[in-house]
Amino acid sequence: MSATTQTPDAPASAPVTRTRRRSRRPGGGSGWLSLPVWFWLVFFILTPLALVFWYSFGYKPDLFTSVATDAPSFDRYREVTDPVFMSTFWDTLRIAAIGTTLCAVIGVPFAYWMGVKVDPRWRPLLLALVLVPFWTNFLVRTLGWQIILSPEGFLSHGLQKVGILSGPLDVLYTSAAVQLGVVYNYLPLMILPLYVVFERLDPAQREASRDLGAGRWRTFGAVTLPSALPGIAAGALLVFIPLMGDYLTASVLGGSRGTMVGQMIARQFNTAQDWALGSAMAFTLMAFVLLTVVVVGLVFLAVRALLRRARHLDLEGAR
Amino acid sequence: MSTTTAETTAPAPARRPRRHDPAKLGLNLFGIAVFGFLFLPILVIVGYSFNTGRLLGAWKGFGFDAYQSAVDNPVMIDAVITSLVAGVLASLVATVLGTIGGVALARAGAKARWAALLTALLALTLITPEIIDGISILPWLVTLGTDVGIGPVNNGMVRLVIVHTSLAIAVVTFIVRARMQGMDDQVEEAAADLYATPWNRFRQITLPQAGPGIFAGALLAFTLSMDNTIVASFVQVPGYTPWPVYVLGSLKTGLRPEIAALSTVMLLLTLVALTVVWLVLRRSGDDNAAVARTFTGG
Repeated sequence: MSATTQTPDAPASAPVTRTRRRSRRPGGGSGWLSLPVWFWLVFFILTPLALVFWYSFGYKPDLFTSVATDAPSFDRYREVTDPVFMSTFWDTLRIAAIGTTLCAVIGVPFAYWMGVKVDPRWRPLLLALVLVPFWTNFLVRTLGWQIILSPEGFLSHGLQKVGILSGPLDVLYTSAAVQLGVVYNYLPLMILPLYVVFERLDPAQREASRDLGAGRWRTFGAVTLPSALPGIAAGALLVFIPLMGDYLTASVLGGSRGTMVGQMIARQFNTAQDWALGSAMAFTLMAFVLLTVVVVGLVFLAVRALLRRARHLDLEGAR
Repeated sequence: MSTTTAETTAPAPARRPRRHDPAKLGLNLFGIAVFGFLFLPILVIVGYSFNTGRLLGAWKGFGFDAYQSAVDNPVMIDAVITSLVAGVLASLVATVLGTIGGVALARAGAKARWAALLTALLALTLITPEIIDGISILPWLVTLGTDVGIGPVNNGMVRLVIVHTSLAIAVVTFIVRARMQGMDDQVEEAAADLYATPWNRFRQITLPQAGPGIFAGALLAFTLSMDNTIVASFVQVPGYTPWPVYVLGSLKTGLRPEIAALSTVMLLLTLVALTVVWLVLRRSGDDNAAVARTFTGG
């Protein structure tokens, strides 16, 4: 793949560029190099976003027209803040917050195990294993859970046979199933940045902590975990952001009861054909996401500052 | 067995950690349990691909019927081919754009305002939920294709390549930038002093340095494209339905074991391809850890 990208029309363009004046510092003005990326971003990402942003101030004029913008207003945003729609936003936020927390609760000890405790020889293999779900199609993985959780599935039958369940398993098409599905689907995104952080930790720091008399829990809490904070913050964002917009997991495992914002927006475009309302929902979702990014950033800075102070005090006390 | 343990245990006791360490044992068990969790639905899909029943979830008996009927189903095979072609083309475009973008960003001075703005824009594409990408690009493509009259954007493959490139461009750019930032640009200055043309400098010095980053970016771009369902489902045109969108569609019409069978084949092919890539990278001199970094985009 990389070989093919490196070779395009090498000989053809050489004579053309030769006429360019040779600059002494190649790093001088590199801005012109970024022009193709600018073009792509403006033409295929910013313009469409701007267009839909403009739609969000419009309205649906009649049954057969999806949007009209001749009388811009904030009416659609007012409509979005209606409790009916807002409850979906809060449900989504709850699923995303719980999902991100669970991913961190599972991901931190797991990445610690992989990056610190496991023999370094085995680490690349384990990392490859963590990536395998990644390379299996997202939708197909979720379908696997649909089979597992089905009331007629093997898990349901097995649990009934053993006597843990008296009736068929009643999890599929509930928000609990969606919660399980999102934790599963986004867990690797939490593990990877955490693994990178844990793996790069200097073992000498932990040894020093142990030598100075700290127990293993204290060492983990005071030395290892604080150094892993950037990884936790990165993982939290990597999980939370796509999770807020996810609508596949909810479509496969949630049925009608586990509606998330993504499904609600898709419905405005696919079935209701109300692009104005759908666009307003989309930008409300965007606001939620941006706000969370800012809040997570602030919390990260605050926790780091607190930990610094706590550690500073500890050192003072030890002296 | 017994003779080897006798040999190996002799010098070990001094270095060997405590055998019955409950915390370590617990952590090991936890790690294995998480792997079980990660693999459970994948194993279920692989297992149910041998279901001879008509519906995926209702187990009837063991057999290879699903594989046979998947191969005989031209619509499904077309969907997989569409996905593969779109994945290759999109990762090509995204890699070319992302590479020059990443190199440009890595060379930009700390005060370059365009670089800060470009970084912010790229970050924006990363945090935009996919559903928003989907609903925004569709009206725009319709506008371009119908109102402005740019014919090619009505083509299903062109549409897929456009949206998948958009999804991957930031990832490739950031990986290449990260790779290039640590690089010494004195080599290139030396090349410039020796009258190397800008293109030759780029081809013979910059590209080889950025190589692993470019490769990782291309790999991720391809994966993103192959996996993309939401945006593709918005812009897809009949005749160019990619595989995930086909699966999404069959959610409504009834899931059949053929889907599990083709998914299993694709997973196997992915694993084989990745193993080959891994071995090639190993042979080119990287150690396991370096290869792992390449795969995770570092």
